[in-house]
Amino acid sequence: MREDLLWVEKYRPKRIADVIGNEEAKSAFTDWLKNKHRSKKAILLYGPPGVGKTTLVNAAAHEFGFRVIEMNASDARSEKAICKVAGPATAFVALDTFSSESKGNVLFMDEVDGIAGNEDRGGVSTILRLIEESRIPVIMAANDPDIDKLRPLKKVSALVRFHQVRIPLIIAMLQEICQKEHIEAEFEALERIAENSQGDVRSAINDLQSLAEASRKLTLQDTVGLSARNKDVGMDETLGGYFSAKSLLEASMRLSRSSVDYDELLMAIGDNLPLRYRDPAELAEAYDFVSQADVFRGRIGTENWHLLRYFFNSLAMAAAVSPGSYQPFSLISPPIRVITLFWTKGRRTMLNNICGKIGQRCHVSRATAKTDVVPYVKAMLSRRKADEIVSWLELDNEEVEFLGKLNRL
Amino acid sequence: MVAEEDAVMWVEKYRPKTLNEVVDLKDIVESLKAFMRNPKTMPHLLLAGIPGTGKTTVALCIARELFGQNWRTFTLELNASDERGIDTVRERVKDFSRYSRAAFGNVPFALIILDESDQMTGPAQTALRRIMETSSRTSRFILICNQSGKIIEPIQSRCAIFRFSKLDRDAMIDHLCCIAKKENVTLSREATERIVDYAEGDLRHAINALQTAAAYKEGVIDEKTVTQVIGEASPLQVQLMMRKALFGDFVESRKMMYDLIGSFGFSGSEIVRQMQRELFKMSGLTPEQRADLANVIGEYDYRLTQGANSDIQLSALLAQFAKIGKVKGENL
Repeated sequence: MREDLLWVEKYRPKRIADVIGNEEAKSAFTDWLKNKHRSKKAILLYGPPGVGKTTLVNAAAHEFGFRVIEMNASDARSEKAICKVAGPATAFVALDTFSSESKGNVLFMDEVDGIAGNEDRGGVSTILRLIEESRIPVIMAANDPDIDKLRPLKKVSALVRFHQVRIPLIIAMLQEICQKEHIEAEFEALERIAENSQGDVRSAINDLQSLAEASRKLTLQDTVGLSARNKDVGMDETLGGYFSAKSLLEASMRLSRSSVDYDELLMAIGDNLPLRYRDPAELAEAYDFVSQADVFRGRIGTENWHLLRYFFNSLAMAAAVSPGSYQPFSLISPPIRVITLFWTKGRRTMLNNICGKIGQRCHVSRATAKTDVVPYVKAMLSRRKADEIVSWLELDNEEVEFLGKLNRL
Repeated sequence: MVAEEDAVMWVEKYRPKTLNEVVDLKDIVESLKAFMRNPKTMPHLLLAGIPGTGKTTVALCIARELFGQNWRTFTLELNASDERGIDTVRERVKDFSRYSRAAFGNVPFALIILDESDQMTGPAQTALRRIMETSSRTSRFILICNQSGKIIEPIQSRCAIFRFSKLDRDAMIDHLCCIAKKENVTLSREATERIVDYAEGDLRHAINALQTAAAYKEGVIDEKTVTQVIGEASPLQVQLMMRKALFGDFVESRKMMYDLIGSFGFSGSEIVRQMQRELFKMSGLTPEQRADLANVIGEYDYRLTQGANSDIQLSALLAQFAKIGKVKGENL
C-alpha cells in the first residue's frame, strides 16, 4: 500500500466512550465485562458490518487493561486449529494475571458466523466445549446470528445486538477526520458519503480516504461516482472508475464493487490499458501487473478461489501506476480478441486447409507446414515453374490466389 | 495418387528411399539394418532430435524396406499435432490394425508412424502406452519427437531410442550439390555455404531454400540470389511486430500480434518461440538490449504457461519491448 495507514486503523477509537453510536450495546457489553463472574461466561455481539463490534472489544481491552487473544475468519477454525490457539490460552490462568499491567486475558472470536461447514469441521462444537471449560471470558462477534449453526452458541451466551450507526454521528466523525487530515470538505459531500454507507462506519471512512486523500479537497462533485454497495455495477462503470482512480485504494474499491465477471474484466482491462497509459515505461509497468493478475487467475483455476484477492490486488496496482497521467478516453469494446477471431475466421480456415494439403505431401504437421514450408511455396509460386507445384500440392485457384496475397509470415 | 518419383518439391523428390541413401547417420542406419534383416526382432522405435535431421525419412525408409512397393498398405502415418485427441488416435490405430492383413512375407506386423508425438499431453501418452500394449501382437510403433524428455518414461522404456543430432555441414553441402547436379542447376560454392549456414543443420530448410533459389534465377545461383530467397522466406511479421514495439508504437505492434493469432492461427507460445528465434537475427540491437529482451521473452514465456489468457501475456511482453526500445533506442 502506498498510503501509510488505512484511516479506519489510524482513527480506530482507543476508548469505549469514543466508539460512536450503539450506546445500549456499549453499556450492556461493559456491564458484562465488569460482572462476568455472575453472568454467562460467553457473550455474542451481533449486527451488520462496520458498526463497531471489533472496535468496541479492542477499546475495552485498552481501557480495562486485559489482553485479547484473537482468532478471526482468516484463520482456519477446524477443531484442531481452535484447540491449538485457544486451548492453552483458556486452560491456564496465565502468569500475566499476577503482573500489574495486565488484568488477564479474554478470547475473542471474530466472525463466528463465517465458520464454514466442511473446512472448519467440528468448529462450533469445539467452541461450545471451550466456553464450558474456559477459565477466561469468551467474546464472539457475528453479522448474522440467525443461522442454524450458531443456535447452540446463542444458548450459552449473553447476547448484545448492534444497529446501524445513525447518519449524523457518522458525519460528525468524518468531519473530525477531515480536520485532523487537513482536508477541506463540503458538508454536502460528507453527508452523501455517510448516507451512502448505510450506517457502516468503516465503509464511510474508506470512501472518504479514497476520494479525498490525494487532493486534500472534497466537493459534492467528487462523490458522484459513489454507488451503493449492493447496486449492480456494469463493465463501463467499473472500467471508468478503475482507470480514473486517484489511488490504489480507490482502484481496489472500484474492482471490489464491480459485478462484472473476472475473466471479462481482465480481458477488457488488457484491451484498454494502452489508451490509459501513453508513456511506454508506465504502460510496461501496468501491463506487468495485469500479467501477474493473469498468472494468479491461472493458479485459481476452478478451485483455488482464495487466491482471488491477489488477482484483484495486482489489477488494482495496474490502475495506480501513475494516477496523475489520467486523461479521459473512450473504451474499446467488445473485446479485441473476439472481433479479430470473427473477422479472420475465413483466412484462418483457408490457410489451415492449404497446410493440411502440404502436410499430406511432405509428411509434416499443419503447424510445421505453416512455419517451415509455406514461406518457400509462397516464394516459389511468385516465380517460374509454379504450375507443377500447384498441381502436385493439389491447390485450387482460390488457394493459390490466397497464398499470393498472404502477408509474409 | 501421384508416385513419389514424380514429386515436384525437391524435399520429397530427393527424400531417400532406402536406409543406404540416408545422409550422415551411419551408426543409426547400421543398427536399423540389423532389424531389417530379421524383422521379427524389431522393437518399437523412438526417434528423437531437432527438425530436418531425417527422422521422418528414416521411418519411411524402414516402411519401404519392410514392405517394399506395398508399404502404404501396411503403414499408418499419423501426426500427433494434427489429430484432435487421443480418441482419434485410438480409433484410427484400432481400425488400422483390424483391417490391415498383419502379415507380409516374414514381417509379422503392420507399422504405425506417429510423428510429433511429444506434442501429446501426459494423459494422452498414458492412453497411447495402453494402445501400444494391446496392439503389440499386430503392430509396431515408430514414435518421432523433437525432445525425448517430453515422452513419458513407460513409453521410453518400451522403445529402442535413437537420437538424431544436427547434420554435419559437409554432408549437407555434398547433398545439396548432388541435388543441384541432378536438376541441372549450377550453384556457386559461396551460395551453397550461405544456404547451409542459414539452415543450421535442418536439411528441409536447406533444400527448400535451394529449390526456391532455382525458381528465382536461371543459370548460376550465386550468393546474392540465396540472400534474396532467405530474406523473402524468413518470418517478417514477427520481426515487424517486434520492431514496431521497439520503436514505441505499441498499438500497431499489438495489431500485428492479433493478425498472427487471427489470420495465421498461431498460439501464444508459438509466437513467443518465434520472437525468441528472430531476436538473434535482428540487426541494430546493442548486446545489452538483446540480453534484456531475451530475458523478458523468457520471463513471459514462463508466465504464459502459468496464466489464463495468452493475449494479456503477449501484450505485456510487447509493452516491455516498447519500454526497452525507448530507453536505449538510439541504435535502432
